Amino acid sequence: MSSTEERIRALVDENLEIEGRPPGRPLDLDSSLRDSGVSSLDFVAFAKLVAQEFGVDVSMEECASINSVGELIAFLDAKAA
Amino acid sequence: MTTEWPGDRALVGDDLRWWRSHPGSGLVKVFRVALTPHPGREAAAWNLLDAGERQRCRRFLYPAPRRRFLLCRAALRAVLCVALGCGNTELTFKLSEYGKPIPLVRGDRVAVHCNVSHSGGHGLVALSDRGRVGVDVEERRPRKNLEGLVETVFGPQERALLSGLDGQRWLDTFLTFWTGKEALAKAWGMGLRTDFSTFQVPPEMLRGERTGLFRCPRISKATWRLEDIGNDDLAAAVAYEEDPGAGREVVTGAARGG
Repeated sequence: MSSTEERIRALVDENLEIEGRPPGRPLDLDSSLRDSGVSSLDFVAFAKLVAQEFGVDVSMEECASINSVGELIAFLDAKAA
Repeated sequence: MTTEWPGDRALVGDDLRWWRSHPGSGLVKVFRVALTPHPGREAAAWNLLDAGERQRCRRFLYPAPRRRFLLCRAALRAVLCVALGCGNTELTFKLSEYGKPIPLVRGDRVAVHCNVSHSGGHGLVALSDRGRVGVDVEERRPRKNLEGLVETVFGPQERALLSGLDGQRWLDTFLTFWTGKEALAKAWGMGLRTDFSTFQVPPEMLRGERTGLFRCPRISKATWRLEDIGNDDLAAAVAYEEDPGAGREVVTGAARGG
Protein backbone atom coordinates (compact mmCIF):
# COMPACT_ATOMS: atom_id res chain seq x y z
CA MET A 1 0.00 0.00 0.00
CA SER A 2 1.43 3.38 -0.98
CA SER A 3 1.99 6.08 1.58
CA THR A 4 -0.65 8.23 -0.09
CA GLU A 5 -3.20 5.42 -0.02
CA GLU A 6 -2.52 4.69 3.64
CA ARG A 7 -3.00 8.33 4.61
CA ILE A 8 -6.14 8.67 2.50
CA ARG A 9 -7.70 5.55 3.99
CA ALA A 10 -7.12 6.98 7.49
CA LEU A 11 -8.62 10.34 6.49
CA VAL A 12 -11.67 8.65 4.98
CA ASP A 13 -12.26 6.63 8.14
CA GLU A 14 -11.95 9.74 10.31
CA ASN A 15 -13.89 12.21 8.17
CA LEU A 16 -16.13 10.69 5.54
CA GLU A 17 -19.44 9.08 6.39
CA ILE A 18 -20.24 6.31 3.94
CA GLU A 19 -23.74 5.30 4.95
CA GLY A 20 -24.29 1.56 5.14
CA ARG A 21 -20.62 0.63 4.97
CA PRO A 22 -20.11 -2.10 7.56
CA PRO A 23 -17.60 -1.19 10.30
CA GLY A 24 -14.14 -2.40 9.47
CA ARG A 25 -14.98 -3.19 5.84
CA PRO A 26 -12.01 -2.17 3.70
CA LEU A 27 -12.66 0.82 1.51
CA ASP A 28 -13.14 -0.04 -2.15
CA LEU A 29 -10.84 2.43 -3.89
CA ASP A 30 -12.55 2.12 -7.26
CA SER A 31 -16.19 2.50 -6.25
CA SER A 32 -17.96 5.76 -6.98
CA LEU A 33 -18.23 7.98 -3.93
CA ARG A 34 -21.54 9.36 -5.16
CA ASP A 35 -22.85 5.82 -5.54
CA SER A 36 -21.67 5.21 -1.97
CA GLY A 37 -23.98 7.97 -0.75
CA VAL A 38 -21.40 10.71 -0.18
CA SER A 39 -23.06 14.07 -0.87
CA SER A 40 -21.42 16.71 -3.03
CA LEU A 41 -20.97 18.98 -0.01
CA ASP A 42 -19.34 16.26 2.09
CA PHE A 43 -17.07 15.28 -0.78
CA VAL A 44 -15.93 18.81 -1.56
CA ALA A 45 -15.25 19.41 2.15
CA PHE A 46 -13.29 16.15 2.30
CA ALA A 47 -11.31 16.91 -0.85
CA LYS A 48 -10.40 20.33 0.55
CA LEU A 49 -9.25 18.72 3.82
CA VAL A 50 -7.15 16.17 1.95
CA ALA A 51 -5.62 18.89 -0.20
CA GLN A 52 -4.60 20.80 2.92
CA GLU A 53 -3.14 17.65 4.48
CA PHE A 54 -1.06 17.02 1.36
CA GLY A 55 -0.18 20.67 0.77
CA VAL A 56 -1.77 20.93 -2.67
CA ASP A 57 -4.55 23.04 -4.18
CA VAL A 58 -7.78 21.47 -5.45
CA SER A 59 -10.33 23.44 -7.43
CA MET A 60 -14.08 22.82 -7.59
CA GLU A 61 -13.67 21.61 -11.16
CA GLU A 62 -11.01 19.14 -10.07
CA CYS A 63 -13.32 17.96 -7.26
CA ALA A 64 -16.08 17.39 -9.79
CA SER A 65 -13.81 15.24 -11.93
CA ILE A 66 -12.81 12.92 -9.08
CA ASN A 67 -15.23 10.01 -8.71
CA SER A 68 -13.53 7.60 -6.35
CA VAL A 69 -10.92 7.44 -3.61
CA GLY A 70 -8.61 5.75 -6.11
CA GLU A 71 -8.94 8.74 -8.44
CA LEU A 72 -8.26 11.07 -5.50
CA ILE A 73 -5.04 9.16 -4.75
CA ALA A 74 -4.02 9.36 -8.42
CA PHE A 75 -4.77 13.10 -8.41
CA LEU A 76 -2.57 13.66 -5.34
CA ASP A 77 0.24 11.51 -6.74
CA ALA A 78 0.12 13.50 -10.00
CA LYS A 79 0.26 16.79 -8.10
CA ALA A 80 3.27 15.56 -6.15
CA ALA A 81 5.10 14.31 -9.24
CA MET B 1 -47.27 21.68 -17.92
CA THR B 2 -50.15 20.32 -15.88
CA THR B 3 -50.76 22.48 -12.82
CA GLU B 4 -53.00 20.07 -10.95
CA TRP B 5 -51.38 16.92 -9.67
CA PRO B 6 -54.03 14.36 -8.78
CA GLY B 7 -52.95 12.13 -11.61
CA ASP B 8 -49.48 11.47 -10.25
CA ARG B 9 -51.19 8.77 -8.22
CA ALA B 10 -52.00 6.90 -11.36
CA LEU B 11 -48.75 4.94 -11.51
CA VAL B 12 -48.71 4.19 -7.78
CA GLY B 13 -51.61 3.79 -5.36
CA ASP B 14 -52.40 6.42 -2.73
CA ASP B 15 -51.35 4.10 0.05
CA LEU B 16 -47.85 3.73 -1.35
CA ARG B 17 -47.14 7.12 -2.91
CA TRP B 18 -43.87 8.41 -1.40
CA TRP B 19 -43.75 11.92 -2.86
CA ARG B 20 -45.84 15.01 -2.21
CA SER B 21 -45.76 18.68 -3.13
CA HIS B 22 -43.16 20.71 -1.29
CA PRO B 23 -43.96 24.36 -0.46
CA GLY B 24 -42.51 27.01 -2.73
CA SER B 25 -43.59 29.89 -4.91
CA GLY B 26 -45.53 27.59 -7.20
CA LEU B 27 -43.81 28.92 -10.32
CA VAL B 28 -42.01 25.62 -10.55
CA LYS B 29 -43.18 22.36 -9.06
CA VAL B 30 -41.12 20.81 -6.26
CA PHE B 31 -41.89 17.43 -4.74
CA ARG B 32 -40.47 16.04 -1.54
CA VAL B 33 -39.58 12.35 -1.77
CA ALA B 34 -39.64 10.12 1.33
CA LEU B 35 -36.51 7.99 1.37
CA THR B 36 -36.98 5.90 4.51
CA PRO B 37 -36.84 2.12 4.06
CA HIS B 38 -40.22 0.77 2.87
CA PRO B 39 -40.30 -2.57 1.02
CA GLY B 40 -43.68 -1.90 -0.61
CA ARG B 41 -42.64 1.47 -1.99
CA GLU B 42 -39.29 0.11 -3.13
CA ALA B 43 -41.02 -2.73 -5.00
CA ALA B 44 -43.42 -0.29 -6.67
CA ALA B 45 -40.51 1.99 -7.56
CA TRP B 46 -38.54 -0.90 -9.06
CA ASN B 47 -41.45 -1.64 -11.39
CA LEU B 48 -41.27 1.90 -12.78
CA LEU B 49 -37.58 1.79 -13.72
CA ASP B 50 -36.27 0.78 -17.12
CA ALA B 51 -33.55 -1.79 -17.67
CA GLY B 52 -30.71 0.74 -17.57
CA GLU B 53 -31.94 2.28 -14.34
CA ARG B 54 -32.26 -1.15 -12.74
CA GLN B 55 -28.73 -1.94 -13.84
CA ARG B 56 -27.56 1.26 -12.19
CA CYS B 57 -29.39 0.28 -8.99
CA ARG B 58 -27.50 -3.00 -8.93
CA ARG B 59 -24.16 -1.17 -9.06
CA PHE B 60 -24.68 0.61 -5.74
CA LEU B 61 -22.55 -0.94 -3.02
CA TYR B 62 -24.78 -0.06 -0.08
CA PRO B 63 -28.55 -0.18 0.50
CA ALA B 64 -29.13 3.46 1.52
CA PRO B 65 -27.76 5.16 -1.61
CA ARG B 66 -29.40 2.47 -3.76
CA ARG B 67 -32.76 3.21 -2.12
CA ARG B 68 -32.31 6.98 -2.58
CA PHE B 69 -31.69 6.59 -6.30
CA LEU B 70 -34.52 4.09 -6.73
CA LEU B 71 -37.20 6.12 -4.94
CA CYS B 72 -36.14 9.48 -6.42
CA ARG B 73 -35.90 8.20 -10.00
CA ALA B 74 -39.28 6.44 -9.77
CA ALA B 75 -40.89 9.57 -8.26
CA LEU B 76 -39.32 11.65 -11.05
CA ARG B 77 -40.82 9.29 -13.63
CA ALA B 78 -44.26 9.46 -12.00
CA VAL B 79 -44.46 13.27 -11.86
CA LEU B 80 -42.98 13.66 -15.34
CA CYS B 81 -45.57 11.28 -16.80
CA VAL B 82 -48.30 13.53 -15.41
CA ALA B 83 -46.62 16.75 -16.52
CA LEU B 84 -45.99 15.43 -20.02
CA GLY B 85 -49.13 13.34 -20.41
CA CYS B 86 -47.10 10.34 -21.45
CA GLY B 87 -46.82 6.72 -20.44
CA ASN B 88 -43.96 5.52 -18.27
CA THR B 89 -42.57 3.29 -21.00
CA GLU B 90 -42.46 6.26 -23.39
CA LEU B 91 -40.22 8.20 -21.00
CA THR B 92 -36.44 7.88 -21.18
CA PHE B 93 -33.52 10.06 -20.12
CA LYS B 94 -30.31 11.10 -21.74
CA LEU B 95 -27.43 12.71 -19.88
CA SER B 96 -26.10 16.16 -20.64
CA GLU B 97 -22.37 16.69 -21.11
CA TYR B 98 -22.04 17.14 -17.35
CA GLY B 99 -24.36 14.32 -16.32
CA LYS B 100 -27.67 16.13 -15.84
CA PRO B 101 -30.65 13.90 -16.81
CA ILE B 102 -32.73 15.27 -19.68
CA PRO B 103 -36.21 13.75 -20.18
CA LEU B 104 -37.25 12.43 -23.59
CA VAL B 105 -40.66 11.19 -24.69
CA ARG B 106 -40.53 8.65 -27.49
CA GLY B 107 -36.94 9.80 -27.97
CA ASP B 108 -37.74 13.51 -28.40
CA ARG B 109 -36.80 16.46 -26.19
CA VAL B 110 -39.73 17.93 -24.24
CA ALA B 111 -40.60 21.38 -22.88
CA VAL B 112 -40.41 20.37 -19.23
CA HIS B 113 -37.07 20.55 -17.42
CA CYS B 114 -36.29 18.56 -14.30
CA ASN B 115 -33.71 18.13 -11.60
CA VAL B 116 -33.28 15.86 -8.56
CA SER B 117 -31.34 16.11 -5.32
CA HIS B 118 -31.13 13.92 -2.24
CA SER B 119 -29.31 14.02 1.08
CA GLY B 120 -29.76 11.49 3.85
CA GLY B 121 -33.48 10.86 4.25
CA HIS B 122 -34.55 13.80 2.11
CA GLY B 123 -35.14 13.85 -1.63
CA LEU B 124 -36.46 16.65 -3.84
CA VAL B 125 -37.66 16.58 -7.45
CA ALA B 126 -38.16 19.87 -9.33
CA LEU B 127 -40.03 20.35 -12.60
CA SER B 128 -40.24 23.53 -14.64
CA ASP B 129 -41.92 24.46 -17.90
CA ARG B 130 -40.37 27.95 -17.64
CA GLY B 131 -36.87 26.83 -18.60
CA ARG B 132 -33.90 25.22 -16.94
CA VAL B 133 -34.16 24.29 -13.27
CA GLY B 134 -31.81 23.14 -10.52
CA VAL B 135 -32.54 21.92 -7.01
CA ASP B 136 -30.34 21.07 -4.05
CA VAL B 137 -31.07 19.67 -0.60
CA GLU B 138 -28.80 19.07 2.36
CA GLU B 139 -29.58 17.51 5.71
CA ARG B 140 -29.53 20.09 8.49
CA ARG B 141 -26.90 18.29 10.56
CA PRO B 142 -23.39 19.15 11.75
CA ARG B 143 -20.66 18.14 9.34
CA LYS B 144 -16.90 17.95 9.55
CA ASN B 145 -14.51 20.32 7.84
CA LEU B 146 -17.01 22.88 6.56
CA GLU B 147 -14.97 25.80 7.95
CA GLY B 148 -12.17 24.93 5.55
CA LEU B 149 -14.52 25.37 2.60
CA VAL B 150 -15.56 28.95 3.24
CA GLU B 151 -12.72 30.57 1.31
CA THR B 152 -13.16 28.14 -1.59
CA VAL B 153 -16.89 28.35 -2.19
CA PHE B 154 -18.13 31.73 -0.97
CA GLY B 155 -17.77 35.29 -2.17
CA PRO B 156 -16.76 38.30 -0.03
CA GLN B 157 -20.22 39.28 1.20
CA GLU B 158 -21.13 35.69 1.98
CA ARG B 159 -17.88 35.25 3.91
CA ALA B 160 -18.44 38.50 5.81
CA LEU B 161 -21.92 37.39 6.88
CA LEU B 162 -20.65 34.01 8.03
CA SER B 163 -17.80 35.58 10.00
CA GLY B 164 -20.31 37.22 12.34
CA LEU B 165 -22.12 33.97 13.17
CA ASP B 166 -21.43 30.83 15.16
CA GLY B 167 -23.09 27.57 16.15
CA GLN B 168 -26.39 26.62 14.54
CA ARG B 169 -26.86 30.03 12.91
CA TRP B 170 -23.48 29.66 11.19
CA LEU B 171 -24.39 26.18 9.95
CA ASP B 172 -27.85 27.23 8.78
CA THR B 173 -26.46 30.22 6.89
CA PHE B 174 -23.67 28.10 5.38
CA LEU B 175 -26.22 25.56 4.16
CA THR B 176 -28.55 28.26 2.80
CA PHE B 177 -25.72 29.74 0.74
CA TRP B 178 -24.39 26.33 -0.36
CA THR B 179 -27.76 24.93 -1.46
CA GLY B 180 -28.55 28.19 -3.27
CA LYS B 181 -25.29 28.13 -5.16
CA GLU B 182 -25.48 24.44 -5.97
CA ALA B 183 -29.08 24.84 -7.20
CA LEU B 184 -27.92 27.63 -9.53
CA ALA B 185 -24.93 25.60 -10.71
CA LYS B 186 -27.17 22.58 -11.38
CA ALA B 187 -29.66 24.75 -13.25
CA TRP B 188 -26.83 26.05 -15.44
CA GLY B 189 -25.97 22.39 -16.07
CA MET B 190 -22.38 22.34 -14.85
CA GLY B 191 -22.88 21.45 -11.19
CA LEU B 192 -19.67 21.30 -9.22
CA ARG B 193 -17.61 22.22 -12.28
CA THR B 194 -18.73 25.77 -11.58
CA ASP B 195 -16.32 27.82 -9.47
CA PHE B 196 -18.63 28.73 -6.57
CA SER B 197 -16.35 31.53 -5.36
CA THR B 198 -16.98 33.57 -8.53
CA PHE B 199 -20.64 34.31 -7.77
CA GLN B 200 -22.84 34.99 -4.76
CA VAL B 201 -26.47 34.36 -3.87
CA PRO B 202 -28.73 37.29 -4.87
CA PRO B 203 -28.52 40.51 -2.80
CA GLU B 204 -32.05 39.99 -1.44
CA MET B 205 -30.97 36.67 0.05
CA LEU B 206 -27.82 38.20 1.53
CA ARG B 207 -30.26 40.49 3.35
CA GLY B 208 -32.14 37.47 4.71
CA GLU B 209 -35.02 37.22 2.23
CA ARG B 210 -36.01 33.79 0.99
CA THR B 211 -35.94 34.58 -2.70
CA GLY B 212 -34.07 36.79 -5.10
CA LEU B 213 -33.08 37.36 -8.71
CA PHE B 214 -29.65 36.30 -9.91
CA ARG B 215 -28.11 38.26 -12.75
CA CYS B 216 -24.49 37.76 -13.73
CA PRO B 217 -23.82 38.13 -17.48
CA ARG B 218 -20.26 36.92 -16.89
CA ILE B 219 -21.74 33.51 -16.03
CA SER B 220 -25.17 33.39 -17.70
CA LYS B 221 -27.11 35.70 -20.00
CA ALA B 222 -30.43 34.64 -18.47
CA THR B 223 -32.01 36.01 -15.30
CA TRP B 224 -32.56 33.36 -12.64
CA ARG B 225 -34.95 33.14 -9.70
CA LEU B 226 -33.47 31.53 -6.62
CA GLU B 227 -35.77 30.38 -3.80
CA ASP B 228 -34.85 29.11 -0.36
CA ILE B 229 -37.30 26.22 0.12
CA GLY B 230 -35.73 24.82 3.28
CA ASN B 231 -37.48 24.10 6.56
CA ASP B 232 -36.53 22.91 10.06
CA ASP B 233 -35.49 19.48 8.75
CA LEU B 234 -33.60 20.34 5.61
CA ALA B 235 -31.76 23.12 3.83
CA ALA B 236 -32.89 23.38 0.22
CA ALA B 237 -33.07 25.71 -2.75
CA VAL B 238 -34.50 25.74 -6.23
CA ALA B 239 -33.22 27.91 -9.11
CA TYR B 240 -34.98 28.45 -12.42
CA GLU B 241 -34.96 30.74 -15.42
CA GLU B 242 -36.98 33.87 -14.74
CA ASP B 243 -36.97 34.92 -18.38
CA PRO B 244 -36.67 31.79 -20.48
CA GLY B 245 -35.23 32.47 -23.87
CA ALA B 246 -33.29 35.58 -22.87
CA GLY B 247 -30.04 33.65 -23.01
CA ARG B 248 -29.52 29.96 -23.37
CA GLU B 249 -25.90 29.34 -22.78
CA VAL B 250 -23.73 29.53 -19.72
CA VAL B 251 -20.41 31.26 -20.33
CA THR B 252 -18.37 28.30 -19.24
CA GLY B 253 -14.97 29.97 -19.09
CA ALA B 254 -16.25 32.61 -16.68
CA ALA B 255 -18.12 30.02 -14.66
CA ARG B 256 -14.82 28.30 -14.14
CA GLY B 257 -13.31 31.51 -12.88
CA GLY B 258 -11.69 32.57 -16.13
